[in-house]
Amino acid sequence: MTDAFLRIENLTKNFGSFTALRNISLSVLEGEFVCFLGPSGCGKTTLLRAIAGLDIQTQGRVEQAGIDISILPPSERDFGIVFQSYALFPNLTVEKNVAYGLESRRAARTEVTTRVNELLSLVDLADQGKKYPSQLSGGQQQRVALARALATSPGLLLLDEPLSALDAKVRTHLRQEIKHLQRRLAVTTIMVTHDQEEALTMADRIVVMNHGIIEQIGSPEDIYAAPASEFVAQFIGTMNFVNVVVASANQGTHQGGVLEFSPNSLRPRESARLAFRPEDVEILEKSDEHNRDKVLGKVVSAEYLGAFLRVTIAPEGWESTLLADISTDIAARFVVEAGGDVAFRLPPEKILAYQESE
Amino acid sequence: MAAAEVQVRDKASPLKAKSSSDDKLMRLFILVIGAYLVVALAMPLYVMLSKSVLNSDGGFVGLSNYFAYFKTPSLVYSIKNSLFVGLVTTVITVSIAFVLAYGFTRSRMPGKPIFKTIAMIPILVPSLLPGIALIYLFGRQGIINWALFGHEIYGPIGIIISEVFFTLPHALIIIITALSIADARLYEAATALRASSTRIFFTVTLPGVRYGLISAGFVVFTLAVTDFGAPKVIGGDFNVLATDIYKQVIGQQNFEMGAVVSVVLLIPAALAFFVDRLVQKKQIALLSSRAVALEPKPSRRFDNGMLAYALVVSFFILGILGMCQFAALFKFFPYNLSLGLSNYQFDLMDGGGWDSYFNSIEMASYTAVFGTLIVFYGAYLVEKGKGLGVIRGAFQFLAMLPMAVPGLVLGLAYIFFFNMPSNPLNVLYHTMAILVISTITHFYTVSHLTATTALKQMDAQFESVAASLKQPFYRTFLRVTVPVCTPAILDISIYLFVNAMTTVSAVVFLYSPHTTLASVAVLNMDDAGDIAPAAAMGMMIFYTAASVKILHYFLSRGIEAKTQAWRRSIEN
Repeated sequence: MTDAFLRIENLTKNFGSFTALRNISLSVLEGEFVCFLGPSGCGKTTLLRAIAGLDIQTQGRVEQAGIDISILPPSERDFGIVFQSYALFPNLTVEKNVAYGLESRRAARTEVTTRVNELLSLVDLADQGKKYPSQLSGGQQQRVALARALATSPGLLLLDEPLSALDAKVRTHLRQEIKHLQRRLAVTTIMVTHDQEEALTMADRIVVMNHGIIEQIGSPEDIYAAPASEFVAQFIGTMNFVNVVVASANQGTHQGGVLEFSPNSLRPRESARLAFRPEDVEILEKSDEHNRDKVLGKVVSAEYLGAFLRVTIAPEGWESTLLADISTDIAARFVVEAGGDVAFRLPPEKILAYQESE
Repeated sequence: MAAAEVQVRDKASPLKAKSSSDDKLMRLFILVIGAYLVVALAMPLYVMLSKSVLNSDGGFVGLSNYFAYFKTPSLVYSIKNSLFVGLVTTVITVSIAFVLAYGFTRSRMPGKPIFKTIAMIPILVPSLLPGIALIYLFGRQGIINWALFGHEIYGPIGIIISEVFFTLPHALIIIITALSIADARLYEAATALRASSTRIFFTVTLPGVRYGLISAGFVVFTLAVTDFGAPKVIGGDFNVLATDIYKQVIGQQNFEMGAVVSVVLLIPAALAFFVDRLVQKKQIALLSSRAVALEPKPSRRFDNGMLAYALVVSFFILGILGMCQFAALFKFFPYNLSLGLSNYQFDLMDGGGWDSYFNSIEMASYTAVFGTLIVFYGAYLVEKGKGLGVIRGAFQFLAMLPMAVPGLVLGLAYIFFFNMPSNPLNVLYHTMAILVISTITHFYTVSHLTATTALKQMDAQFESVAASLKQPFYRTFLRVTVPVCTPAILDISIYLFVNAMTTVSAVVFLYSPHTTLASVAVLNMDDAGDIAPAAAMGMMIFYTAASVKILHYFLSRGIEAKTQAWRRSIEN
């Protein structure tokens, strides 16, 4: 990947004896939208701040557009940033906020005004320019912050949990809007978030982080369908786990019997954790005698979630329960209800196996 | 692309960020203001401490000055007296203030704003003033001296009453704050559990304000022990540490012994200060939890009781103030009680005349302007600067130190430091500048804390955003920080002005015949027996300080109205 716009090599950040980032290497392509995703304390914000130069890394190299920016102060780098708090200047109007980065560049007044108007219509706030930030809604403030960050046409846009402070509905709407804007301007963007839905819907590529290391980098589809580690598997979406002892390249045994999984490099006798998603549980006719991997169980509870039911099943002989998402018409057809019996199978190609971490 | 490869690398030394021109400029400024604190505070204190182990010829004598001190019974006795006055004042003031604060926060008594304003009056007068009023009330020819049943007002009784008057507002502010952060949900929970109101008081109310009470106690104790005005005016033969310093230096010109007493006085003040800092940190921890504000419920008996109590306290404060005003107007107390302005002919008395009043206004104005500039900018640099961690830490320490240094001790330290022939700064000695510098330094800590609090309330990312937009820090400072912090900046300047008007302790060692001050004139006229003119001058200080406060009130209101459009967002 020689055409990487942003290249991070062996980046480490220590706070005293605590290592917040350990040997991170990563490339971002021009025009790409990348999300840093992980639980709080995983180092995603630390990495963003290192890229911005706000908290410089202890070791490692950061390169942007072919230039080594590792030790440059923020003011000598080329980026725009939006914070969770927006950090809008409260005593300046929306226009003045957006114009803040433009004015001292000796641009003509009319030029500044034109650019500000252009940006405000870009974020759909053309008529709000004279207001103060406190007179706007949270979502509008967020868009002002975005316009301000984009005003100077930075090569890199950094978004630090930009949607966390908003309520759910506004968040979903802004998600699309930001994504749309990013596509249109083709500005290379890095967003930090702890919200997997946000990452899955917005990012071209997701960087899943945990404890200061990168667990997986990949497209949203990759990350969801083929989590590279147990951590990613349980962090993204809902996942069922079953502990087994590996019997062969694609089989594991547990108290409930034998489970087949997609082939893996695990060695026999090793402990492993099998993982599958609730939507991959296939409900069968209880009387179906032909299916050799049919499992019988009891429905412990069923939660109605609109389009589907989330069912907790206690399979016969298993040490733990599992979750299954069943469409409402299937549930009706096979009479799946709390307290009743249920039969299901787990398609081997949908079952992932991970080496037990401990 | 796979997960991050783990590479074993040599342990290289950590990267060092390149400094931007902003960083360099900020470092330069912090060094400049830091240098101010070193010259105006650290070096004088050091010189004073070293004086206490030198003899009058400058030879090193070890601790022999201290031995001499502790061998002089009359001097050692003052320690006991100071502690006695301090402790009794603390108990009385904190009790009075607690009940009053309780009434302000937990009752629905009418007229709270008026009573609160009255309770703040003592801040606006020099600490000499209540003593003068007490002489008129309870002195040998006092109007109601029968009320003491033959006891003498000159001495501990007079000092303690004066100190209670003088320290009440300070305790009240702290305790009101502590009581206002109470969480209504705790009370609802306790009521739902059917706890009696007495039980709620002891299990919810008192634990909630304990840090506030402790903090108020230490503040009052420190003020009472280090105050010099009240014991000077009404102490009679009852010597305390503060008056001893004055007598050693002004009366006997024994500077070394003055330094020794200063060190002795510094110990309890510094100790109280550090304990208070510890306690305040815990109070802040209580503050940060999200509480639901408590709305007191009406209760006729309780509200009326609190109203009666507030009336009594207000009567005490207004009585002292009113007595002073009458003392100033009586033609010749106690023989001719008709009123007139003859006592306002200050030019006929010792103490510097009307000039000293105008000098005071000049001094207070300079202190307010330069002090606010230095303090606010210093606090900004400490808060927002990058790098120079050790120096910023030292700066923070120096900024907190003045609170622990009694004014008299600071004043004496200035004599030693600025009067040294070898010190090029001795050109400042006997000028207006040294009065301004000493006053700014004396009142640095509270101003610094006000500025720091305001700065901490601002979004920490403003500077990051500005840097990403390639804007120099001073542009953001002037266009955003200063406008947003205007209320705090105004508070600081008013605080400095009022204190510069009323302070006696540091400046009493530093004024010259050309730079006499109103507060010092009160002291000197009282000393010369011209008590009525002293009262008149004291009241001039009060009216000036009060006018400035009223001006401040309307100015704040104006700013609030003007910036209402955007200021709402900061408050919530």
